[in-house]
Amino acid sequence: MSDLERELEQELHRVLDPITALPIPARRQPEARRAARALLGGAGAALTVKVLTGVAVAAAAVTVAGAATTGSLNPADWGQQVTQQVADCKAQLADGQHGIGACVSSFASQHGSAAASAARQHGNGNGNGNAHAKDKNKAHPATPKSGSVPRGLDSEPADQAATHRTVTSTSHP
Amino acid sequence: MESIELPAERERYEPGSEADFERLYRNTYRRILGTLITLVRDRATAEDCTQETYERAYRNWRGWRPDAPVEAWLHRIAINVAISDRRHQQLRSAGEMIRRLGRPAAGPDPSLIAENSDLVQALKKLPTKQAAALVLRHYHGYTNREIAAALGVPEQTVASRLGAARKQLQAVLGR
Repeated sequence: MSDLERELEQELHRVLDPITALPIPARRQPEARRAARALLGGAGAALTVKVLTGVAVAAAAVTVAGAATTGSLNPADWGQQVTQQVADCKAQLADGQHGIGACVSSFASQHGSAAASAARQHGNGNGNGNAHAKDKNKAHPATPKSGSVPRGLDSEPADQAATHRTVTSTSHP
Repeated sequence: MESIELPAERERYEPGSEADFERLYRNTYRRILGTLITLVRDRATAEDCTQETYERAYRNWRGWRPDAPVEAWLHRIAINVAISDRRHQQLRSAGEMIRRLGRPAAGPDPSLIAENSDLVQALKKLPTKQAAALVLRHYHGYTNREIAAALGVPEQTVASRLGAARKQLQAVLGR
């Protein structure tokens, strides 16, 4: 046996004997390891984290919007406010007058603006949501695209009393 | 060289027997851990690899043939686990770290001696199968035949691998 081999044996025993003299731990159960791997490892775990984060962010956004509009965290309050508004609108109608659409629509648009504002504020903590929310609000007005009428020029009020004259077009020879 | 009877070989085991596998674990754990400490980066990893070795062995326990040397069989699995660990060292998942949480502290750590040993550090720089051959031969006292069974190679390959390992170890140690 060479010096190197002798030294190798002595050194290995000096180093490894104290470690291998330690108590033997319980054998790891394969089932427990598989469960941990499924829960913590791989692409599935990353997807799960993303999905859960998305759900949490969406829930938070809805809660903030609702709270900003109604002053309450309870979604049932939003419904109550709409019901109340419908009743108020009906009460405001004069005798013989019909239609509360414009009145309720006005409330709904206020609600929409407040919700969008709250969502924007919430989106400030989230890089992706922030930019899209702002762009959407600025670049896409509520008017339909097909009309292509700038919002600032659309100042004509709705003709609630049906006083406008019907325009008929005639074909010229 | 005279064949050395390994401690685990004195025992008889029945393939597929749960009780026998537990006994095998108790009888061989320290020796498998001792080998793996010289092959992987630290003691915690060696412990994980040892457990992985027994998990793989357990999955194939029914197929083990009693005429095969059981400890060499376990070492063969352990060396494959070590090779796999070296390959995936950088991709080690957070799951294993989390699994280690809650384990009792080991107290004064004798593994520091191993981690500070020039020889052990030099062994870790060798190809896994070369380092394993040296440890099996000079720590566990395996014969070339037993090393051949553990590594899954012919005896002649073991002899040449041991020679190359010694040469490379000397170079790493600067002797």
